[in-house]
Formats: sequence, structure tokens, C-alpha cells
Amino acid sequence: MYDMLCAGCGHRTAMMMLDEIIKEKKLKEKTILALDVACCSLLIDYVDYDAIMCAHGRVLDVTKGYKIMRQENIVISYMGDGAGYSIGMEEMVHSARRNDDVLAIIINNGLYSMTGGQVAPTNVGTKLCDSPSNGNIGLKIENIISSFPISYLARAALTDKENIDIAKKYIEVAFDKYMKHGGFNLVELLSPCPTNYKLKPIEMVDVINNEWTKVYKIGEFVNNV
Amino acid sequence: MKKILNGNEAFAYGALAAGIDFYAGYPITPSTDVYEFFEKYANDYGVKFVHASSEVSAINMIMGASIAGARALTVTSGCGFSLMQEAISYMAGDFVPSVILNVMREGAGLGDIPRSQGDYNQMTKGGGNGDYHSIVLACTTILDCITYPKIAFELSEKYRNPVIITYDSDIAHTKEIVEVHSQNKNNIDKLSYTLTGNKNNNPKRIQNIYYHDKDFNETLKNKYELIEKNEQRYESYFAEDAEIVLVAFSICARICVDVVKRARANGVKVGLIIPITLYPFPKKAFETLTNCKKIVVVELNILKQMRADVEYFTKFKYEYYSINSMSTCPTVLDILSFIEEIK
Repeated sequence: MYDMLCAGCGHRTAMMMLDEIIKEKKLKEKTILALDVACCSLLIDYVDYDAIMCAHGRVLDVTKGYKIMRQENIVISYMGDGAGYSIGMEEMVHSARRNDDVLAIIINNGLYSMTGGQVAPTNVGTKLCDSPSNGNIGLKIENIISSFPISYLARAALTDKENIDIAKKYIEVAFDKYMKHGGFNLVELLSPCPTNYKLKPIEMVDVINNEWTKVYKIGEFVNNV
Repeated sequence: MKKILNGNEAFAYGALAAGIDFYAGYPITPSTDVYEFFEKYANDYGVKFVHASSEVSAINMIMGASIAGARALTVTSGCGFSLMQEAISYMAGDFVPSVILNVMREGAGLGDIPRSQGDYNQMTKGGGNGDYHSIVLACTTILDCITYPKIAFELSEKYRNPVIITYDSDIAHTKEIVEVHSQNKNNIDKLSYTLTGNKNNNPKRIQNIYYHDKDFNETLKNKYELIEKNEQRYESYFAEDAEIVLVAFSICARICVDVVKRARANGVKVGLIIPITLYPFPKKAFETLTNCKKIVVVELNILKQMRADVEYFTKFKYEYYSINSMSTCPTVLDILSFIEEIK
């Protein structure tokens, strides 16, 4: 098998962190990875736990159906911002409303990457925008679902060591909450996509740290017991 | 226990007897009775029920539950059924079992709620994107509505393919006295392909794109060849020696049974073939005909959807006629006088 992810891709970092946590907690035998399509779906060949490749934007529905039947298992709902906030926004809102038992990881890069870098509703830059460019203010999930009685909502960036450590900490908190009392736990990860932004990986990190984080604040937004 | 039930209520009892574990749905007429039944009684019967936010949501929850080994059901009509096509296509490609009831609505678009069989092509030819079929079972009596859910779950688990049960709103709202079977419990650990977590270093996958496997499409093709070979089901009613053979399902089949009785009483050799599986089309039924010259397809859609299949699978060797209409059924006398004209 060959590596299918681009140089500097955030998926690699995110998946390695998840894998570390799963192996540390010895949860491999209980874990089901529910993946969205496109770049997310490439991860199916990287992991050694049971995995589902869902239809675009339907990860949370599949998660709900699975989890309701097998409470003892851990389902990681892994998707991009297109799936989470665009085509799958309805599922996102209703899953949060129901406070379903969800452990969602959203890889947010503001683009539809697999199809060649078209602008997603989450995009905040204007450099590449050929559709809604000016005044594109992004889509802040904390403004949308934090009114529901969810368990945990946080955002981190997959850029430098400092930020990646924060990201891992948030994912661990989400994991613990999910294991302890269930509920809706979501960690959004601002993720580099150097290929489609046509930047070097190191330049991409600067763009996220300096520009994106002004709109998408890093931190924990909901942390209910 | 005997009860007076309409088709939808009977279907709900049939689903319980088939051992359903999970129901997710969104209400739409004329299928809503089933949704209401489970909304009211799911807790009593220990069935997990979810008010899905759309049909798209419902069908994907069904998919998740099926992957967990459950017998999962959703029920819909018309436009709701269209919204489910993507996931049905996914499940066919993913080899995930599932059962969907489609109580047909009339017309294109929103259409209306009277009796119709206009979803014939959508159900039998695929409906969603890509190379696949769903197995389609058509109910003609209220008893069928009770017995078919179990058959449907067994077929879907055997072939790992979605099964659609269908009938029109006349069957949905006709009441008959039927024997109701008691509820059965499904064992969610019984299937070998259920995802339970990687317990013996053999990770399982639910996916329909294999980046490294070129034989996948061949596997898919073999599945449908096997279904077409083994699962043709039909009912033949005085068809073997008939000169004129009627082909009809659901409400039309019930009318045609009377037509056959009356025509035979008048000495006209009329028979009837009722396809139970619309896909795979029961072409075996026509191989037993010895005397047939003319075939009349009675159906409730304006485009003569089933007739195209009947012509194709009987190799265009008879004379073909259609009695087709929308929203109103032909009466027994209508069909009898039509037969009188063509005989």
C-alpha cells in the first residue's frame, strides 16, 4: 500500500492523534470509525479497526443508528467541514438537539479538497474564492449548536506543536466525556491543505495561525458535565 | 390472534413478527399509519424508535443500525422514497441489508395520495445512482402485508441487499380480518458481517469503493445474477391453460381475480399472473403458459411501466394490451368488456 495523503495534510496528524489515544486506552476492539467520503475516506486503509464509509454528510445518522443498537461500542464520527457544516448541517443540528452519543471530529480546511479546492461555506480567505468571496465570514459551529444541551464543543488547529498538543488535549477530553456519560462531543480541527491552497506546508501553517484563528477562535466553547 | 387491520397496521404487526429492533422514519401519507404505530407502541414492544429529521436521515440511521446487526425498518411514500435513493444505492454497494416499505403515491413530483403504481420503474430498475437493484416484493392482500416483512428481512440478510416492500394506497387502507403472529426477537449477533469492533485482528469494512480491489464489481454482478436465478416469486391463477393472461399486482391483482372467475364462468379462458417479486421479474411464470396468445397488463400508471418488462421478459412473442389508468382503478366490468373486445 502507498501513502495517499498529500504532504502537510491535516488528516495524517488528526488520525495519528486519534490512533494514539485509542491505542493508549486499549479501545481498538470496541472502536468503529465512521468516515465521510473524499479525503476522509482514504483513512479507511490506514487503520486497523472496523470502519464504515458513509454517504456524504450522513456520518452522524449512521452513527446514531449504530450506537443506538450497540451502546457498548465507540463510534468515532470523522468528517470534513463540507460534510459537517454544509451538506450534513441538518444532521449536525438535530444530532446536537437530541444530544446523541456522538464523538465527532471535524477536519475544517475551508475547502472541498478531493474535488480540487472549491470554496466551502467555512472558507474565510478570499484568495482562492471564485464564488461567494467578499464578506465570506465563515461558519462558526459554536454559534449554531451551543444553545443545545450538548456535552462538549472545542476547536483547535493542526499547525505547530503547541497547537497540536492543545488539539490532542481536547480530543482526550472529548473521549473521556464520551466514555463516561455519552452525549454530543465535537472537536473541530483547523487543518492545513497545502495542495489546494497552493502553499508550502510551512506557509499554510502561518495562514492558519495568523488569519483563520482570528475568525475561528481556538478554545473550548461548551464543557458540560 | 385475529384482528381487523388495514394494510399499514398489518405491516407494522408483520414487522414485529419479523423481529425488528429499530425504526426511524418521517411521516408521509399514505404510509403514516406505520409511523404512528411505532411512535405509539415502540416502547411497549422494545423497538428503538427515532423521529428522523428527514427521510435522508431516516434511511442512513437504518443503515447504521443494520451495520450493527439490527433488523431495521423505515417506511415512506413518493417523494420521501426518492430522498432515500442515495442511501439505498450505498447499501446495495456496501452489502448492507435493509427493508424499506414504499406505499406508492400517484403522479410525478409531490403528486397526490390516491392509488398508484407509478414507482414501478424507480423500485425495480434501481432508483439511485449506479449499477444495482433492490429486491422488490409487492403485497396484494392484507395477509401479505403481515407475512412479507419476515421474508424481506431474510432475503436482505441472505443477499446483503436492500429489499423494498410495496403496495398502493388501496391495500394500505383496506381492512381485512387477519391472523396476527406474536412478536419475535432478533439476535443482533447472528450475522457474520456485522461490525462489532476488531476483536480478532481482522478489521471489517463497510465500503463500496475499494482502492486496491479490482474484483469488487464482479462480486456485485454475481449477487444480482444469483438473485435473478433463485428468487423469482409469483402466483399463478388459472394461467396455465389460459388464452388471455392478465398480469397485475397489488389492488389490480385483486380486481383481476374476480375478472378471471367471471370470465371462466362465461367460458372464456382467462388467467392471471401476480408477480410477487417485481425485481427479479418472475419470467419463470410465463414459461409454464401453454395456450397463451394475448397478454393484458393491468397497472395504475400512465406510462405502462410494467408492460415494458412483461414484453421484454416474454421475448415479445404474444400480443400485448394494456389497461392502465391513474388514481381510479378499472372495474371488473371494464376489464371484462375489454377482454370481450380482444378475444
